Amino acid sequence: MIGVPNRTGKAMLRGKVFAAFAFALWQTCAYGQMDHQHASEAACDETVLRCASKVTPAFSPDGTLWLAWMAGGQVSVASSKDAGHSFSTPVLVTKERLNLDWGPDARPKIVVDRNGGIALAFSTFRDKAFNGQVLYTRSTDGGRSFAELRPITASNESQRFEALALDADGSVFAAWLDKRNRVPAQHKYEGAGLYFASSNDGGATYSEARMVKDNTCECCRLGVAFAGPGRPVVVFRNIFDGGVRDHAITTFADPATPGDVHRVSQDDWQIAACPHHGPSLSISNAGTYHVTWYTNGKARKGLFYARSQDGGRTFSNPLPVGRPDRSPSRPNVIAGPHGTAIVWKEFDGEKTTVNLMTSHDDGLTWSKPAAVAETTDTSDHPLLVSNGQSVFLSWMTKADGYRIQPIEGAP
Amino acid sequence: MKRRLLAGVFFVTFLFSASAAEAPPQLKPFERGSWQDILRSHAGRPTIVHFWGVTCGPCKVELPLLGEFMRDHSAIDVVTISADLVPDLPGATQAMLEKSGLRAAENWIFGDGFVERLRFEIDPAWQGDIPRTMLISREGTITTIEGSAETKDLQKWSDQQLAATR
Repeated sequence: MIGVPNRTGKAMLRGKVFAAFAFALWQTCAYGQMDHQHASEAACDETVLRCASKVTPAFSPDGTLWLAWMAGGQVSVASSKDAGHSFSTPVLVTKERLNLDWGPDARPKIVVDRNGGIALAFSTFRDKAFNGQVLYTRSTDGGRSFAELRPITASNESQRFEALALDADGSVFAAWLDKRNRVPAQHKYEGAGLYFASSNDGGATYSEARMVKDNTCECCRLGVAFAGPGRPVVVFRNIFDGGVRDHAITTFADPATPGDVHRVSQDDWQIAACPHHGPSLSISNAGTYHVTWYTNGKARKGLFYARSQDGGRTFSNPLPVGRPDRSPSRPNVIAGPHGTAIVWKEFDGEKTTVNLMTSHDDGLTWSKPAAVAETTDTSDHPLLVSNGQSVFLSWMTKADGYRIQPIEGAP
Repeated sequence: MKRRLLAGVFFVTFLFSASAAEAPPQLKPFERGSWQDILRSHAGRPTIVHFWGVTCGPCKVELPLLGEFMRDHSAIDVVTISADLVPDLPGATQAMLEKSGLRAAENWIFGDGFVERLRFEIDPAWQGDIPRTMLISREGTITTIEGSAETKDLQKWSDQQLAATR
């Protein structure tokens, strides 16, 4: 009877010793693993497309698909003449590994004009305090080489979340979030200014930066589209009175003259935080503004869609998008050649799906949502892109690589 | 033989422990299941779990206030979780925690690129906005503060928690 507890005691002691040893080893290993790939958004650390964490598509007017991506700390570009079945040899836009802005709403931006000129921009973290800098470049030889990177503005304050859009005359409109007005630091400064500039030489140089509005939310991507030639429209997460971070929109009278700021919806999301979850905008040929966004406001929570038929002055009642119990996120809207489409992500605890709904009456009524793609590891935002005839879903995933697929049944 | 083996194991364990004692407290990788581990290990103790990130402007303002709060409230467990998207920056994260007086807190950092899954385990409705603070009562009731938490609100909650134990 006595021997049994003794053996148990020894066994327990040995167990504890081994447990302590194993724990010490585990700790060392666990911390060592922090830099390993499982902790990354990317599948690998090279500059190839397969290793990209963010991929941005754009069709050029001749139907060529262009991709700009972030991988291995660099930005690369490649093109496809067969809608993504095969790609040209990638060209590095950056000459060295940079501290690229890896925020959830950051990605390289690319536009391609009718002459094949490519304008490109992206953000880096310029210091240890994570202040950003927007850099731009262009290619005039069909993407074979890119000019030296240049800052889009001379200001040394933080800039991030740039957007590029190609105007009908080939000029490039750029907008970004800029913290220059927080200096001098004596006064309390909330958010960041919404700034813009444009380039009339295909992205070789940009005009002096000008402000649309001060004190907008500092950490969400912008949505940019054109209401007509020379009339850029920007949707952004604003900071309204009382620290309410709801969405707002402005339609420019011309590329140098921002219009009034109108509210997209009264979500009443009062929060001093970084949602990292910006809006999306597309404008149909009929002039209807289509906006999707995320909010967690008192009035509503989740993803929403609304449309405006009076140039962004008023919007329809917000339409909920996605299943609330599946963490819907990252909505993207496009007014395509044959209709309007919205994609977004949902997560069921194990896998992420991209869901699609379409409208054939300019956003008045929508189809039932359908899952069109899925993956079981981390993924980039799903993006819709059109070549003028069809709409495609562009989606980078860690587990399954890059995919571009036509949206069946068109919009 | 067994004794020698045990002695060896003790010695190696001692070496690991000694080096761990000298090294600064490490960030724990927050992975699948970590949330339940945290809830389990703090069960029965009032706990503040603070989600933040080095690139988040409002977080930089709030973090030192949380450090002060922790210094003045030893009866409340303070857990921080860096929920910035990867690539993680353990160096910058650790430096900011230390500067904010949170060196002694239980500090975690997202260690899985599949952040949707990590967030889903914590709160399926959370889309990743930071800062975010979860107040976990002794009974396990969770109150979530989205955005920056006011020190006076933490104080009020802490007073309620401590009053309940008297």
